[in-house]
Amino acid sequence: MRSLTRVIGLALLVSVFSLSSPNLTAKPKPTKNAEALQKLELFADIFARVRSEYVDEVSDKDLIDKALNGALETLDPHSHYVPPTDFKESQKSALREYGGLGIEVTLDKGLVLVNYVNEDGPAYRAGLKKGDYIVAVEGENILGKTLNDAVEGMRGLAGDAITVTVRTDDNDRDISIVREVIRSRAIRHRVEDGMGYVFLETFNNDRLTRDLERALNALKSEIGGKVPGLIIDLRSNRGGLLDQSVSVSGLFLDGGEVLSSRGRKPEDTERYNAKPGQWDADMPIVVLTNSSSASAAEIVAGALQDRGRAIVMGRRSFGKGSVQSVIPLSNNNGALRLTTARYYTPSGKSIQGRGILPDKLVALRPDTGEIVERFREDKLPNALGNKDVSDYEEQYEDIDYPPEDWPLTEDYQISKAVELLKSPEYKTLLSQYNTRP
Amino acid sequence: MKYILPTLGTISAVALFAFSSTPQTAIAVEKPTHSETFQQLELFADVLSRVRNDYVVTVDDSELIEDAINGMLQSLDPHSSYVNAEAFRDLQVNTSGEYGGLGMEVTQEDGVVKVVSPIDDTPAKRAGVLSGDYITEIDGESIIGMSLSEAVDKMRGKPGQPITITVIREDEDPLEITMVREVIKRQVVKHEVKDGIGYLRISQFNEKTDESLNAAVKALKSEMGKIPGIILDLRGNPGGLLDQSIKVSSAFLDGGEVVSTRGRNADDTDRYNADRGELLKNVPVVILIDGASASASEIVAGAVQDRGRGLIIGMTSFGKGSVQSVIPLRGGRDGALRLTTQRYYTPSGRSIQGTGISPDIAVSYAQDDGKGNKRMRESDLPNSIRNQVEEELNKDAEDTTAIIDYPPEDYEVEDDYQLQKAIDILKGGTYAKLLASTPG
Repeated sequence: MRSLTRVIGLALLVSVFSLSSPNLTAKPKPTKNAEALQKLELFADIFARVRSEYVDEVSDKDLIDKALNGALETLDPHSHYVPPTDFKESQKSALREYGGLGIEVTLDKGLVLVNYVNEDGPAYRAGLKKGDYIVAVEGENILGKTLNDAVEGMRGLAGDAITVTVRTDDNDRDISIVREVIRSRAIRHRVEDGMGYVFLETFNNDRLTRDLERALNALKSEIGGKVPGLIIDLRSNRGGLLDQSVSVSGLFLDGGEVLSSRGRKPEDTERYNAKPGQWDADMPIVVLTNSSSASAAEIVAGALQDRGRAIVMGRRSFGKGSVQSVIPLSNNNGALRLTTARYYTPSGKSIQGRGILPDKLVALRPDTGEIVERFREDKLPNALGNKDVSDYEEQYEDIDYPPEDWPLTEDYQISKAVELLKSPEYKTLLSQYNTRP
Repeated sequence: MKYILPTLGTISAVALFAFSSTPQTAIAVEKPTHSETFQQLELFADVLSRVRNDYVVTVDDSELIEDAINGMLQSLDPHSSYVNAEAFRDLQVNTSGEYGGLGMEVTQEDGVVKVVSPIDDTPAKRAGVLSGDYITEIDGESIIGMSLSEAVDKMRGKPGQPITITVIREDEDPLEITMVREVIKRQVVKHEVKDGIGYLRISQFNEKTDESLNAAVKALKSEMGKIPGIILDLRGNPGGLLDQSIKVSSAFLDGGEVVSTRGRNADDTDRYNADRGELLKNVPVVILIDGASASASEIVAGAVQDRGRGLIIGMTSFGKGSVQSVIPLRGGRDGALRLTTQRYYTPSGRSIQGTGISPDIAVSYAQDDGKGNKRMRESDLPNSIRNQVEEELNKDAEDTTAIIDYPPEDYEVEDDYQLQKAIDILKGGTYAKLLASTPG
């Protein structure tokens, strides 16, 4: 029985592997393949032994699920196996939204760290803050669990309550949060010292571009004529829908490339272009980014920077420049969420792991004498790398810090953006950057 | 030509499968299992081939499969793992002799390295590493997700070399601990005369334990003449070799069962008996245990308790009552599989797994912190194997440990309240009465 399973398993794996690479004979790599086959045999061997000899009976399905995630999670933090039940649920949302609590979490030193709290979400109202650690869900300790397992416990239907144990500065407390569908206002706008200001909270909204156009028109009428300069605030914007990043960029670009996504093979490359025609080509623009500006937000910042349409100001962005495809698997086996491509800005730079480095580095908080480490993609375990290995870190001496007595209520980055928009330096900077290699 | 062979193999194997399951009704019951297994393996192969073809960069198939193996095994329990060929060779070298390092027993759960116990008189112990600490970084580099053997390799180095580890402890901020590596000398059995009572401390169960114990008992006998009472200190002892726990138990038991190991099937049961000729015959015995006494320590304590041979004092033990078999794969050329195959049972048939050994008299080392001095135990580990009759036993455990004897407020920790209690009982004449009142 055991050896039979083993033989079947092995034979099956061998067959799939040899069939899946039809050009095997055309371009043989015998040693690599021999090694892989040997490893497959090893896998089948171990699988069979666990089935027959483990102290308790285990289901084949659980074993394979865990094996798959073991393999996929070491590829990068965004690839994983989606079992059939989860798959249906995830088909609904373009971006993985964690449990309707309105938070995004990451693993930090074995603990689950809250790195974003949506101000319109129930977690925010329950008092959860960015930087808090979640140590238990429904009383179950999550220390040492994988991020996926930890997050799993937080998911659920809207209207259901969940209790999480939150640690802030060594104090643990239980918070009860009712999960809800979060509908956030994606855009806020105002006139800032005579300049137009728009804050884009997320790209996970299919009306974003339309709302942005409305906001621009509103600004125009509030200012009473031409908007003399625009600040696009993408700070802490975690991204969202790719097409929205293309259409938002398209508002400020007259055609031409916004981004490309490139996979392993040249034929996998896809280019995304802006629509012809743009909103006030002469209006100076400053884009604000920080270390939590990710994905779609970085696409917009990268496109406007590369195309010489805006000055990017703030801090280096997150660096989530990889594309995940959801590949449905046969026999109702769920799906595979797999990283298949990287995003590239129009000048051909990959965003992955490096992010967008602002033209002008401006900090929000006063100088502490060193660069305060921020959590970015390249800090994630097993993060996918970037072929460009040139230096991309912020240089301490390049950062403009607010003076020590700068009031906490004043946003230094916005005030520097306004200052730049009003100064002739804007044009100088832009022309400088336009002639860069 | 080379690639024809595996394809042929496939056809014949599939044929074998088809023939073996169709005609006989006897195997018909197993048919669904077969097809489910088949489907699951197919899924695995499907995903691997898609990763191979579609992933953003070229992936090393071998590494991918090895990660799959680790993912699968780590989900079973904290003690099952794949040992690659290199680590397997190390493992064989490692159970004997000295090594350079920090001096702690470590395990791994879900990719995080966890301290089972620091060894006495080593850099780890002196620097204040505690049992239950999670090690997340070595010299500033994250080791989360790293295999246990890789992490251990990183901690080892030349004696005299400094190393900084980051540990996470329950209810505390991450802590950086710097220490200097040294050659770890493992004095496995220490002996001493304390207040007229023989004191033996076993720090772990390796192949020298039995020999050192005999020497220590001999030394005690020559120092004391007749030994009026003996304290066996197994606190902080993370365990080790099973046969050594039998030999140590044999010092107190004249034959009879020490432990049985039971697997999934009834025919997997093995019974282990003490040797005849008890080394410490008729000597009253108190065994000290705490939350860091695990595995082989729990076997000794459980046997002595169940057989009514001595009193167990201290706090409930760790509860590591599972047996791992190291199964060499392809004669060790492919490494080995470390797989949990059995559970330990005390002579009266209690499983140690998850619940541990409850002391006959619960005495705390530390002062009352209002939490019953709760420590991280096996049952708190993610994916820990459940005890089959865990709930009832848990109830028992709570009942017996409900009344904990805490040191008075002004008691100095160095004076070792648990040890003092053990001495008091052995010298104060209450031993026999207390022993008679225990269920063993």
